[in-house]
Amino acid sequence: MKAPLERLGWSNNDAKVYYNPRHQVLRHLQSSRACAKSRTTPARFVDEEEKKRENSLVTHDLFEQVARESKTKATFNKVIEVFIKRDIRRRGHVEFIYAALKKMPEFGVERDLVVYNKLLDVFPKEVFVPRNFIQRMFNHYPRQQECGVQLLEQMENYGIMPNVETKVLLVQIFGEKGHPVRKYQRIMYWFPKFKHINPFPIPQQLPEDPVDLARFSLTRIANDLDAKVTVYQLPYTDMTESGEELTLPHIVGIQSPSQMELLAKHNLNRPVFVEGPFPLWLRKTCVHYYVLRADPKPPEEQVEEPYDPERCFDYPLQLELDFDRDLGDNEDFDVEDLDEGPVYAMCMTSQGDQATLNQWIAGLQQNNPVLGQVPALFRLEPGPRELQGAAESVSGHSSRPHPDSHVENAQSGEDAEVILEEEARRSHGMKQ
Amino acid sequence: MSVNRFLVLSRTFPIGKQLLPSHLRHVSKKAPNLQQRKSFQTHSRNLAYAKDLFLGQVNKSEVFPYPEIGNEELEEIKQFVAPVEKFFSEEVDSAKIDQEAKIPPETLNGLKELGLFGIMVPEEYGGLGLSNTMYARLNEIIALDGSIAVTLAAHQAIGLKGILMAGNEAQKQKYLPKLASGEQVAAFCLTEPGSGSDAASIQTRATLSEDGKHYLINGSKIWISNGGFADVMTVFARTEVEVDGVKKDKISAFIVERAFGGITSGKPEDKLGIRGSNTCEVAFDNVPVPVENVIGEIGGGFKIAMNILNSGRFSMGSSSAGMIKKLIELTSEYASTRKQFNKNLSEFGMIQEKFALMAQSAFVMESMAYMTAGMMDRPGVPDCSLEAAMVKVFSSEAGWVCVSEALQVLGGLGYTKNYPFERYVRDCRILPIFEGTNEILRMYVALTGMQYAGKVLTGKIKEMKSGNITLAMSMVGKKLKSSLGASVDLGLTGKDGVVHPSLEESAKKLEQNVNLFGSTVESLLYRYGKTIVDEQLILKRVADVLINLYAMTAVLSRASRSISIGLRNHDHEVLLTNTFCNEAFFKNNYLMVQLQKHAPENNDANIKKIAKAVLDNRAYICSHPLERTY
Repeated sequence: MKAPLERLGWSNNDAKVYYNPRHQVLRHLQSSRACAKSRTTPARFVDEEEKKRENSLVTHDLFEQVARESKTKATFNKVIEVFIKRDIRRRGHVEFIYAALKKMPEFGVERDLVVYNKLLDVFPKEVFVPRNFIQRMFNHYPRQQECGVQLLEQMENYGIMPNVETKVLLVQIFGEKGHPVRKYQRIMYWFPKFKHINPFPIPQQLPEDPVDLARFSLTRIANDLDAKVTVYQLPYTDMTESGEELTLPHIVGIQSPSQMELLAKHNLNRPVFVEGPFPLWLRKTCVHYYVLRADPKPPEEQVEEPYDPERCFDYPLQLELDFDRDLGDNEDFDVEDLDEGPVYAMCMTSQGDQATLNQWIAGLQQNNPVLGQVPALFRLEPGPRELQGAAESVSGHSSRPHPDSHVENAQSGEDAEVILEEEARRSHGMKQ
Repeated sequence: MSVNRFLVLSRTFPIGKQLLPSHLRHVSKKAPNLQQRKSFQTHSRNLAYAKDLFLGQVNKSEVFPYPEIGNEELEEIKQFVAPVEKFFSEEVDSAKIDQEAKIPPETLNGLKELGLFGIMVPEEYGGLGLSNTMYARLNEIIALDGSIAVTLAAHQAIGLKGILMAGNEAQKQKYLPKLASGEQVAAFCLTEPGSGSDAASIQTRATLSEDGKHYLINGSKIWISNGGFADVMTVFARTEVEVDGVKKDKISAFIVERAFGGITSGKPEDKLGIRGSNTCEVAFDNVPVPVENVIGEIGGGFKIAMNILNSGRFSMGSSSAGMIKKLIELTSEYASTRKQFNKNLSEFGMIQEKFALMAQSAFVMESMAYMTAGMMDRPGVPDCSLEAAMVKVFSSEAGWVCVSEALQVLGGLGYTKNYPFERYVRDCRILPIFEGTNEILRMYVALTGMQYAGKVLTGKIKEMKSGNITLAMSMVGKKLKSSLGASVDLGLTGKDGVVHPSLEESAKKLEQNVNLFGSTVESLLYRYGKTIVDEQLILKRVADVLINLYAMTAVLSRASRSISIGLRNHDHEVLLTNTFCNEAFFKNNYLMVQLQKHAPENNDANIKKIAKAVLDNRAYICSHPLERTY
């Protein structure tokens, strides 16, 4: 346990924090004991690290020791068990929990509810439950409460929904009306509401196989149930006689019947364009696709089909009246329409050079004979290979990675953490 | 004529505008005739009942008194009916036809001997030469077996109609006698895999041979009733026609004999109902058709097809009525003998309701069908396609409800094959589908009327749009007057009334509805203009109101006549009429209130949204009620 003075100081601090949400945010940004949140200035980084060592030397060592063997859920649990057994008073449990929270991604248990519950179980029970109205009025054991909240917050950031066990533990530890229980209640209010809020959900685990991933991505972009995915070429590695390694990229394309129809009507004198690569983000992965498109029809070519009164056997398709819809019933929004031109097909490939894309066009030609007569122009930007790294380093910031940004590639080793940081920051932003 | 002078006056003196609204009703009684003659040159008929309803007018001379047939004709029809009835009750085994999916040859021969293959073919070509009314009467009996009814209808209501209506003398001489006797059977080949109502997607093509003596037909047609054995077919195919120096594809109609060669029929379809009728695909492979077998002129097939389709529908009213009358006999016996809790089924209110419904539906259908048939039998070539379509829609839907209610009376027994009810339910299901689906017919009814009303009202609406205050004020005044309960008098009752006084209340309801309908149509035209074509939910309501109005007219007219000449049980007819009119009045008011609202208020917007969400996902998208998120 800490010295009473220090505790008092914390409690003052925390009282402010909890009753003034703005301060909370501020504090979160300044200190980062829970997880690395702002690692922008190296100076502070060192500072924090020292602070950490000061606080949780013991616990840190514990994880370090275990980590030397292997980083799994089992070893993580073992550490917790060791800590619990070490001291009946659970001395230093707050530090331990903070450290554990930070280590969770390393052990790959950051999305494991059972582990969170187990971690919560480290708190001694009933000690922090306020017993009278004065305790209840002031912030009782703020450091512990803060730690509990932090744990829940990390769960929240990873999208892990607490369960009844969590609630029982929280109530046992902090009492019915403690801040962590309130936090739990808030999570339970919002999480179910947001669980299915995305109309286009992405699975937690993306398919590993590049062909399957391309299939998934393309159907996602096309958003047409009739669209048909064709695998024009499977990825294939072969050794040539001379001992050279020959790698054939995968080519997966998608086209819907309506796109085929549009393509069939394409004016033969106008070229079609193969353009790309365009990025598509699926959680933390970025994939790239190419489109086959054409410029919008110039106005002089847009001829409306004349009305044929002998079109329908049963009823008139048009009325001969010379007044139009009245304003009162005009429910169209006034949106400026910009004709972008038709997109005839899309594809994904691991190698976006002209030769590969030509292969795709050749494949398309089987079902779209018109492609044989139309000139196809390739308007390709630098391939995704250089872009990939750059894209990762600016994750989430821009939808269209800039080729210049590969300077930042140095950081890409820390990708996982950077993204984690990103997520954490984003969720803080939401909370404000 | 005073109308013209009035128009001239109103143009010269601006003050005339002020007069216009108050005199409008007066004027427009004659005005439509002028307008119509201009816009519908192809239709020789001057007066039309249903179309005038769109203007809020009751053209009572069209529908009152209820059409009658002469005494000799009545005697004649009775002579025909008796043997047919006898044949159907004794010789036709509907259960067997249904089970074996084939009409036995002896039954077909019996039908031929009775002359039922040429009911409407003129006597000079060996047919019975009966009128539409008599045809409707015979159909009441023929409809007792769905398979036979469909086989006969495919033969003469559409199959040989082309020759009868548009064929030249030589074609008639050559084909009609054999068809009328049933020696040859006809079929109507229009529908294709990619084309229902859409003429543009007809793929079957007829090309002139090099010697110019034959057309070679290539293509395939689906769902051809009698397609398996028909000897003579009316085939519609695309032909190249030169119009103003430009080559264009147009539809032409051909008489094609199976004997020409190159025709193959597919396997008969295995259907839900009307199983005894033969429906199959017919393929044409370079079928040589002599040029003299073109019906009408080359490129004129569209009109022929439309006319054939439009003319065949009216008889469904009497067919359904005949079927329901039969069902009432069958079920009432059961209801009066089956006991539950020491009471007959017939004493229970909910069972009684079903019988009332059946009787009322049969009565309304019958009235509509014979009224339309009577209109069609008038001299000239009256265009009753709107009325016929309404009869078809009403009777097919009411028929379906009645058949299902009849089955319900018997409960589980009705569901078994021991009773004919399940067969009637299956057979009946085709009615809303064939001869133009009810959806399409509703579009036809509503749009044709809207077009007519739009032409007449163009001037008025344009003036309203341009902001003529006096006109707008007078409209408001008129609306205010009617909303304050000023009674509407369209002349059905009172001094020159045509409706019997005991039906006065119902007639008033009709008048009120018609009046409101007129102003509703006007506001719809004002609101939607020509884009009304895309407002199917609105058009459906318009069609429903119109059908109800026509049905009300038919029963009022029929019951008035029955009272006046003292037919047996005419008091029952009065009862049915008043009940129906009351019901229809409320339905109409509800529909028209909805029509006056905008999409967000009358649920249309919601309906479209729901449908869109479902169709975009092609699935029911709600989460399962047992799902949970925490």
